[in-house]
Amino acid sequence: MADILPTLLGFPPDEKKLTHKQYDTQANAYVKELSKISNSSWTKTVDKKGLLELLDPTANSIAYLVTLNKQIEASQKSQDRLEHLFQLAQVFLTTCDPVQIRYVGEEWRILFDFVCKGIESTQSADCSAVIGGLLQLDPTAGTFTSNHLRVLRLCIRARVPSQALPILDNDIYAYPSKAIKNLPEDYLSEAHELSNAYITEKSGFSTKLLPEHVLEYYLLGAHVYIGMRNFTRARLFLETVILSPSPAKACSTLQVEAYKKWVLVGLLAEGKGFPLPKTSDAAVMKSIRSLSKPYEALADDFDKRDYKKFIAEADAGEVVWADDGNQRLVKEVADALMRYRVTDLQKTYAALPVTRVAHLIELSANDTMQLLQNMIQAGYLKASISSGGSDSVLRFHSTDASSTSLAAKDLEAQTERIQSLVTFIRDADRRLQLTKEYVDHQKRMKKSGGPDGEIADAMDLTWDPPANLDDGDEDIMGA
Amino acid sequence: MAPKNGIAADLPPPTFDLDTWANNYEPGPLLQLRLAHVASRCPSLARHALTLALADAKKGKDVQIYNRLCDLAGNLGFKDLGTQDTEWASRKDEENRRELSRLESELRGYKNNLIRESIRMGQEELARHHLLTGGPIPDPANPQSLSSAGYNAAYQAFGKMRDFCTTPAHINSMTLRLIYTAILQAVTAQQTGNSSFSTHYNSITVHSNRLRGTGVKEEEQSKLTPMAHVVAGIAHMGLGDYRVAASAFLQTPFDYHNSGGIYNTDFERSVASANDVAIYGGLCALATMSREDLIENVLGGPFRAFLEQEPHMRKAIVLYTTAKYQACIDTLRRYYSDWSLDVFLGAGSTSTGSHVDRLFARIRERSITAYFSSFSEVSLTSLASTFPPASTAPDAMEDEVLNMIENGTLDARLDVVNGILVAPQKDTRRTTHQDASKAASEVERTLLLRLHRVNMTLAGLEIPKAKGQWEGMRLGNGY
Repeated sequence: MADILPTLLGFPPDEKKLTHKQYDTQANAYVKELSKISNSSWTKTVDKKGLLELLDPTANSIAYLVTLNKQIEASQKSQDRLEHLFQLAQVFLTTCDPVQIRYVGEEWRILFDFVCKGIESTQSADCSAVIGGLLQLDPTAGTFTSNHLRVLRLCIRARVPSQALPILDNDIYAYPSKAIKNLPEDYLSEAHELSNAYITEKSGFSTKLLPEHVLEYYLLGAHVYIGMRNFTRARLFLETVILSPSPAKACSTLQVEAYKKWVLVGLLAEGKGFPLPKTSDAAVMKSIRSLSKPYEALADDFDKRDYKKFIAEADAGEVVWADDGNQRLVKEVADALMRYRVTDLQKTYAALPVTRVAHLIELSANDTMQLLQNMIQAGYLKASISSGGSDSVLRFHSTDASSTSLAAKDLEAQTERIQSLVTFIRDADRRLQLTKEYVDHQKRMKKSGGPDGEIADAMDLTWDPPANLDDGDEDIMGA
Repeated sequence: MAPKNGIAADLPPPTFDLDTWANNYEPGPLLQLRLAHVASRCPSLARHALTLALADAKKGKDVQIYNRLCDLAGNLGFKDLGTQDTEWASRKDEENRRELSRLESELRGYKNNLIRESIRMGQEELARHHLLTGGPIPDPANPQSLSSAGYNAAYQAFGKMRDFCTTPAHINSMTLRLIYTAILQAVTAQQTGNSSFSTHYNSITVHSNRLRGTGVKEEEQSKLTPMAHVVAGIAHMGLGDYRVAASAFLQTPFDYHNSGGIYNTDFERSVASANDVAIYGGLCALATMSREDLIENVLGGPFRAFLEQEPHMRKAIVLYTTAKYQACIDTLRRYYSDWSLDVFLGAGSTSTGSHVDRLFARIRERSITAYFSSFSEVSLTSLASTFPPASTAPDAMEDEVLNMIENGTLDARLDVVNGILVAPQKDTRRTTHQDASKAASEVERTLLLRLHRVNMTLAGLEIPKAKGQWEGMRLGNGY
């Protein structure tokens, strides 16, 4: 076969100003052309240089990607060669042109898979290539794909879960969906605000998703956040798992696990159980809770600040916690209970002798002193201990932690987050309106039915039916 | 009718004269119960009270109450009063029996004739007989008979009139009698240490509601309404709902005084005089209302007419509203004995003390809270000198204050070391900021959770019912 290099370099076109339509047609034609090239020509060299050296990964991303994949396929037997390709693939994932690869999702995923496997097999703790790759494709990381879960698992296996934070910190706002019929599709190359426009079911970026993938992603993510002591985020992730929809009122083991953790995290973070989310399904919650009785018992003791009973229950349930892998969390909750008993004191007292604290929390004076010092150092308690005469005195400070300007900044950030959320919701709303169910519902709502029940009518002509009815009446009168 | 533990049985003599006091109430079972209450609580008046009570009982035909009064006299060590006039008792008993069978056969006759008005009157005669004779004696062998013995028989008989009432006036007359019977039931239950009094008080509140807006003539209604408010107040007070009781008393129109009653019933003569209403209402209002409310609704409202009957009560309220708390408490203390001898105010359970004790404690707590509200710091010693604690224990004041902080009555913190009560510093700006940011993050979380739900459903990722597919999905927790 002839030299394929000119073909490969044929895209992207030189002309600078292409319309999206032109770009789109050219890209598709180009991909089709590439698929015609025979397997053997991919490994050939030109002027003693491999194709990969001649192509620029940032400019000729499609060609580079396909070449990489073909060469990897061809050199399964040569370990050295694979090693080299693995390095190139890592660089490519983080530097490729995000617009071009939208046309070759399948290829991209194969390469992504190759890199993941490579990291796994080398026992490397560095997952930055795959994380960078994921963000290169979709800077918001907001359309859930099988790759999200893959990366998260990889980071946890590498024992550096914090690496996954750039992904986890983004809120998932969509799942790859089917293209909607009768709707003119946008061009892939356009600058989309949300990534679910180009990450769809047929784009090939994700394998088929199952509910358990989503649940697992959130549960693992919650693990990471619990480890990072980011309880707000952990709570969100756990509640996401618990509140996943189930019209059949089924409850998943993952949900039960999430609920158990959710109970413990509530105690740790707020000193009392979180209130049950309003949208929770009563039937599902009932089955989840019936499977988590020991945890509810713990929470009950915690709420009553009953340290002795809590410890007794924690000891009695040792096997349960160990089975669920929550042993350390339970232990931490026990420590937290002790802390909350001390911090509760500052609601009643402004200052009191340490011996009295010891009496109130039923510890020896020395242990109490130790505990108080630890708590003050760790910042759990805003207080000071002064040793005056025979007895040291614990004096609580007034609680003015954050300055107003800081709070204002927090609020601004919060407002921004909510505003971006509104964009997500508007998009979800749009998709919801395009579903068959919604259209059916709309049709039912206006019994008389519009002119011919098109989607546009279903959405916009809510005020037409009365007019139509009037017409009908007149007709009858006239007839 | 033995004196109960936990409630003072050795009250000093009251300020009133027993004869005059007894003349305020019409003779009958309730007066006898009142006198019995005085006898069991105040040794110096016991003999006099019992003499009056026995004389009144002998004028009636209730052998049971006569026997109980004799027993009480015997228990208190008045041998001469305690000897029963057995001849009188057996004669009355015989008369009562004959009367009862006569009334019953008459009623049967009426029922055969099917004349509603006759049946109603026959039923009323029978009920009144039960009321005046104390009803049938319960059969000790049959615990079931308790529910239809004593005043319960009268209550049930009055209740049976309902089916034969033809006008609203009939209904009202029946309701009034039911209320009076329920009051007797409640007082008897309290004096015998029976906890069923709350059921009777509850039925009083129900019946008193029926007396409002009954559709009778204006002038009749204007007599019914005040009575309804008074008995509702007494019932709520008996149940310990002092706030509701206060509002019921405060609503009572002054027409209550000297209204002369209606349907042969005048609660002012039998249940509570206008003076009593002034005291009940005044105490309940002091214990539950804010200073502004006291000035506006109690001193400035229609209730003032009642307060004019009891100038010291009015004085106490004025003192409280002008922040002279100690003078107010002192004034109230002076009448402690008088009020404790009242059959309604002096009643109470062993654990919580009488209503007077509880109301006094509340007023004291509120005085302390109100006093403290104008300071940022108060030393315990100065607090103790303003409000001398009831007990002489060295840390009585501290305990009292801690109790109040813990049950949320007092918003303050205690510096045990220096013995200072510190008011919390309020930074409104900061709390507002915190509230705002809390609300915002709550909104954000809820939005994300709902978005997740919608997305999962849209993408067909609902948790399915099928079982067995979670196997192998469980991952190790923790890392």
